[in-house]
Amino acid sequence: MKQNDIAGADTGKVVNTSRRRFIQLAGGVAGAGLFFASCRRTPASDTYVGEGDVALLNYLYILKQVTAAFYTQAVATDYIGISASEVELQINLRDQEIVHREYFKSILGKNAVKTITMDLSAVVFADKADFLKHATELEDLSVAAYNGVIQLLADKEKIITIAKMASVDARHANYVRDTLTHNSTGDGLVIDSNGLNNVISPPSGMSMLDKYIETRFDITKLPTL
Amino acid sequence: MNFKHILNEIEKTDPEVYEKLSGRREVLKGFGSKVALAALPFAIGSMFKKAYGQTTDAVIDALNLALEFEYLEYTYYRQGNNTGGLIPTTDLPGFKAIEAQEKAHINFLITTITAMGGIPFTPKNYSHPTTVAPYVPAAYDFEMNSTYTPFSDYRTFLILAQVFEDTGVHALQGQIPTLLGNNEVLTQAFQIMEVEARHAAFVRTIRRLAPIDAPETPTPWITNNIPPTIPFQDYYVGEDRVEHDGVISLYSENPNYPSGTSPQVAATAAFDEPYDKAKVLSLIAPFKVI
Repeated sequence: MKQNDIAGADTGKVVNTSRRRFIQLAGGVAGAGLFFASCRRTPASDTYVGEGDVALLNYLYILKQVTAAFYTQAVATDYIGISASEVELQINLRDQEIVHREYFKSILGKNAVKTITMDLSAVVFADKADFLKHATELEDLSVAAYNGVIQLLADKEKIITIAKMASVDARHANYVRDTLTHNSTGDGLVIDSNGLNNVISPPSGMSMLDKYIETRFDITKLPTL
Repeated sequence: MNFKHILNEIEKTDPEVYEKLSGRREVLKGFGSKVALAALPFAIGSMFKKAYGQTTDAVIDALNLALEFEYLEYTYYRQGNNTGGLIPTTDLPGFKAIEAQEKAHINFLITTITAMGGIPFTPKNYSHPTTVAPYVPAAYDFEMNSTYTPFSDYRTFLILAQVFEDTGVHALQGQIPTLLGNNEVLTQAFQIMEVEARHAAFVRTIRRLAPIDAPETPTPWITNNIPPTIPFQDYYVGEDRVEHDGVISLYSENPNYPSGTSPQVAATAAFDEPYDKAKVLSLIAPFKVI
């Protein structure tokens, strides 16, 4: 399968996103003055993620852009009191998140959302507890995000590779969680009474990412559970 | 014969018909033009058998493989957790949580398999327990014919725990393709697999840090195909793969990959690999009683 086939019949709509939305907003307006006024009302940062599989894969791609940027910053500004082991493993985390990010970028091809602008000001990278709290939140979200996406993806073959990343992100999640609080594997709402990892629906996952991203997204066509 | 009409009729009783047939959409499109009308019923029959009939058995089989693993792991942790002086008090709460999660998996899988009309796997020497706990120590030889001493040496206990958890992840990865036609079970398999991966990372992190300081300096994830000790090399074969779904995760292929350290290492660690059922069963066979 070629890399861009994932988009299937949706390709045209996504590629022509800005034009399509522009026309929707402008719809039916005859006067040129009003037409351009409508044009200006389109928020410049409102990035359309597409629909169907493209939207789902862009959601994971956006998530991976956040985690990659998050660990890139962490590696650049180690927290106070970091151990040699922790230095090495956060470089591992950064590199593996970049591998995941580039995987999604590659399979999305021309449908990938453009590079987004991060806002990591919510994180105090110098503070071990704060950094690990955010890392746990992001890793737990990554794992639960896959569990939502796989139920909605039409291209089932993609799930085989997503599975390979899901278990690795679960490893990440437990590492950062355990580094913050040893023996916390089963804590919180992440694992239920059946021993199952939680599930997060794509739109909920996107809203959890809001505080790390300056770019705003149009997720009106992002599938939901 | 109106093929679309047939599908519409089925959709009335099973709204997920299109989902179950997904991946075969191209085949569906091909009907009418490429398939001779006379051959149509046979082609459709085969397609539905793949989506419904055969898959139900295969799904139950996949769940039973997972169940076999859970029995092994639960029995192993319960035995370890109840061996006084084996697990340090600093790590014991974590292992008790893991034991509880393995037990939950067993009960969940038994319920699911039974609900699907399947017969849940039972370990050798299993007798219907008078207690709820599915603890079957008589099924296993964790000392592997006196080769290992997991219940008197914590380091050895951790090595086997790591091997079991990583192999459990490989086993579930291997069953994912079988489950693609059943969204509910597919999701449950992901959810169990992720919890097993969390367990694996827990054990690996303990082995990495003092006072264990395992000689191969394990990472919470599987770096290259490094085993905890040489005899377990076969449990990590293929884990150093760097190509997935046509995407090669190497710096030489994409300058956006990390170049600061060792991109190949990241590429191998970023993906857990699938093992098929035969491979998985051969790996745990030495720990089962004959």
